[in-house]
Amino acid sequence: MVTRCGTQTQRTGFKSDAFNGCTLLVRNVTVTQVREKKRWMKAYTYLMAKKLKLEGPPPPKPRSQKPNWDYHAEIQAFQNQCERRQELGVDSELTALALKDNLELCDRGEEITRTFVADWCRASFPSLPDDGVQSVVEYLAGKSTISYVAKNLGIEDLTMSADFPIPEEVLYSTFMAVIGALQESSGAERAGFFLRDFLVTQMIGKDLFDVWTVVNPMGLLVEELKNKDIPLPEPRLIRSAGASTVLPLYFVGLYSEKKLLAQAPGESLAAAEEEAARVALRHMTPPLWLELLVGEDAEAASPELPAPLSEAGRSDPQLPGSSG
Amino acid sequence: MPFCGGVRSGCSLSSDEVIGSRQKKLDEVSVSVAKLADFIEEGVVDYAKANPGTVVYVSPQGSRIPKIVAEYLNGKVREEIITSKTAPQISELLTKLTNQSGLDIIRIRKPFHTDAPSIQGQWHPFTNRPPSIGPIRPQ
Repeated sequence: MVTRCGTQTQRTGFKSDAFNGCTLLVRNVTVTQVREKKRWMKAYTYLMAKKLKLEGPPPPKPRSQKPNWDYHAEIQAFQNQCERRQELGVDSELTALALKDNLELCDRGEEITRTFVADWCRASFPSLPDDGVQSVVEYLAGKSTISYVAKNLGIEDLTMSADFPIPEEVLYSTFMAVIGALQESSGAERAGFFLRDFLVTQMIGKDLFDVWTVVNPMGLLVEELKNKDIPLPEPRLIRSAGASTVLPLYFVGLYSEKKLLAQAPGESLAAAEEEAARVALRHMTPPLWLELLVGEDAEAASPELPAPLSEAGRSDPQLPGSSG
Repeated sequence: MPFCGGVRSGCSLSSDEVIGSRQKKLDEVSVSVAKLADFIEEGVVDYAKANPGTVVYVSPQGSRIPKIVAEYLNGKVREEIITSKTAPQISELLTKLTNQSGLDIIRIRKPFHTDAPSIQGQWHPFTNRPPSIGPIRPQ
């Protein structure tokens, strides 16, 4: 509804019009508001819809260009969200940070993030090999995760950047600079808490092998077991179903010295064996709280091992290779 | 995957806007405006002091429906209309918006939840099947 409103100066008169409107007579400007059905509305709406269809939706605008934006207030609110206590002097830190490119703070923040995540990983998963720790650090401190976290924390609205939507590298460096500034002002402990609460939580629900690509899990498992002086694993077929169908299912278990390490399903014998190796690796790198809780429990020893995998393949009458 | 972070911090509301409306007609005094004005006099400042992590903008918009626009940190924007609401009602609404996260409000599928859906273990074709019987075959 278009209201032609002029300046709110003194009203000198009020009269009603013939065509369903009312006119306010003011010293400088005559204000007319017509509330009936507008003849131009349909044509205008159709024209705008046609324009939208032709040109596509309007490009996204950064938050600072939309109405109701006070940069200084937003920075203060962000700071309050990061820290519980008001620190004198932090205000200037963050405003200084925002005003110029702080490459040095960014580098320092990156270093802090990587060391913290690596330390956390080693502390919570003591038996995870170095490859695993490296890949977890790469995932958590990588550009995609950091930019996702930055977008959800509102850092995207606060960054001053020439192009919009803000590129990932800019978000990454801004986030690192924020970490650096946080560490400078409130100390390494608070920066650690911040990282733990916002960055490390991105690992919730993630499987280790999504993050860490292992080409030969069986080889890795054999190495790990050698390091721990545990006898090497032997694969055995435990269960099978539908071997001659399109979707066969084999359960393969890995036994070391007649004790079950891990078992896993798969579509073929080889796939099931590889999956069992992965499960064994996952069990061998438990989180610290689980280790402390469970202690050293011996797995229930199975008295008779099932037939070895190769023989199982030969004797199973359903498999195409064996005599039927 | 929804953003699961900030387990220790309180709300994820980033900015709040209260859009007031100023009516032009002289013969009808808008009740909503009077109540909203009460809230703006008393409630807003208390709210802003209690939530230092939220920026509150109050702007008069001529002849518009008075509303509260809440923007969350993850970019979601929610609008609530506050015509004919008393000041305490508006404060309640603000507390509700503050305590929400910015995730979409979806239908609750079931009114119950359990962390242990099965006590003895979910049945599958290999449960209680001794391996000596042999593999599962079509009959």
